[in-house]
Amino acid sequence: MKTKVLAINGVIAALYIAISTLIIPIAFGPIQFRIPEIFNHLIVFNKKYFFGIVVGVFITNLFSELGSLDLIFGLAHSILSLLIIILLSRVIKNKWILLFANTFVFTFNMFIIAYELNIAFKLPFLLTWLTTAAGEFIIMAIGMPLMYAMDKKINFKKLID
Amino acid sequence: MNNTLIIGQYVPGNSVVHRLDPRTKITIIFFFVIIVFFANSFWSYAVLTLFGLLSMFASKVPIRFVMKGLMPIWFLIVFTFLLHLFINKDGILLLEWSFIKIYTGGVIQGIAISMRFFLLILITSLLTLTTTPIAITDAVEQILHPLKKIKFPVHELALMMSISLRFIPTLLQETDKISKAQASRGVDFRTGPVKERLKAVIPLLVPLFVSAFKRAEELAMAMEARGYQGGEGRTKLRELKISKLDIWIYILFICVIIGLFLTRNYG
Repeated sequence: MKTKVLAINGVIAALYIAISTLIIPIAFGPIQFRIPEIFNHLIVFNKKYFFGIVVGVFITNLFSELGSLDLIFGLAHSILSLLIIILLSRVIKNKWILLFANTFVFTFNMFIIAYELNIAFKLPFLLTWLTTAAGEFIIMAIGMPLMYAMDKKINFKKLID
Repeated sequence: MNNTLIIGQYVPGNSVVHRLDPRTKITIIFFFVIIVFFANSFWSYAVLTLFGLLSMFASKVPIRFVMKGLMPIWFLIVFTFLLHLFINKDGILLLEWSFIKIYTGGVIQGIAISMRFFLLILITSLLTLTTTPIAITDAVEQILHPLKKIKFPVHELALMMSISLRFIPTLLQETDKISKAQASRGVDFRTGPVKERLKAVIPLLVPLFVSAFKRAEELAMAMEARGYQGGEGRTKLRELKISKLDIWIYILFICVIIGLFLTRNYG
């Protein structure tokens, strides 16, 4: 791994955590609005952002109330979704289609988090999936035009290459 | 703003819990989180609660710090409790008021789940209250070390974690500075329709990203100038050591596990 990629991913993770600390009270449990989830869209522009996002999720969950449980399921959710998008980006080149795909993959995969809350607190699975997915969908959908507009200005792909 | 900083959770001290090897703490907490789900009776919960409270007192962390971790999710505990109270229809009918029926099963399950919540939070917040994030990073690197065999970039991951921990306060400050700078230019973050407010986020995020990338590039250059070449053959500034204390704590924890399985289904 190149030193530059390493440093950028470290800083991206810091940005993820910094933004999530500002909104921590609503970032955990069945109702989640994790604003830094918009960073997931970075993967659309370059797959080298993978570790930055994963480390951001890891450290944020380290401080969550469910501890290691959130670590395992939260990481599984992010890693699985990001890998799906990396695979998709090999065949799909259109950025908008990928942004939509990313939003849907992350939203759909919230069943992992719903399953976690279901086994941990016996919360009803389908209802929890619905509430957690709704929060994720809203943030990711808002993130689409936001990240697209930012990419036009600063070009995420070139920044890390 | 710094009051809400999660990284500031660490409470310095020299208690037994502080002196434990971070790997010991992570391992025990990991298994604790698993065994909490095996508790199913009054006495098994009692064993776990005793262990949790003992650890808390041994850590000498003021109770208000532990309670502070509980505050944001207070609502969640109440919500979960009520959900089980109304949904569970096992046992004897205790109370009936129009369409609301409360059964003994609901009360018991509600209490059990709330206890589970409380225990999970107590024990995991003890980790972040008594261990510096950098010690956690070191421990994670050591624990994941075997994964190196399958070419997993353990060292790089740990380094990324250290870098990000180092940059969180810097970026928080930066966010504050940029939002003030943009506000002084007339950007309005607080009022107006949602769409306008979202648009206002762009002049905040763009400079934040640009400056973050600039910092990352400077860091990479500095690292290379000092001859950084990855993890092979590097020595460590902080060496982790398992002491006698750690072994005693492991033995205690094994006793807790045995106690838990002996008291399952009792009471």
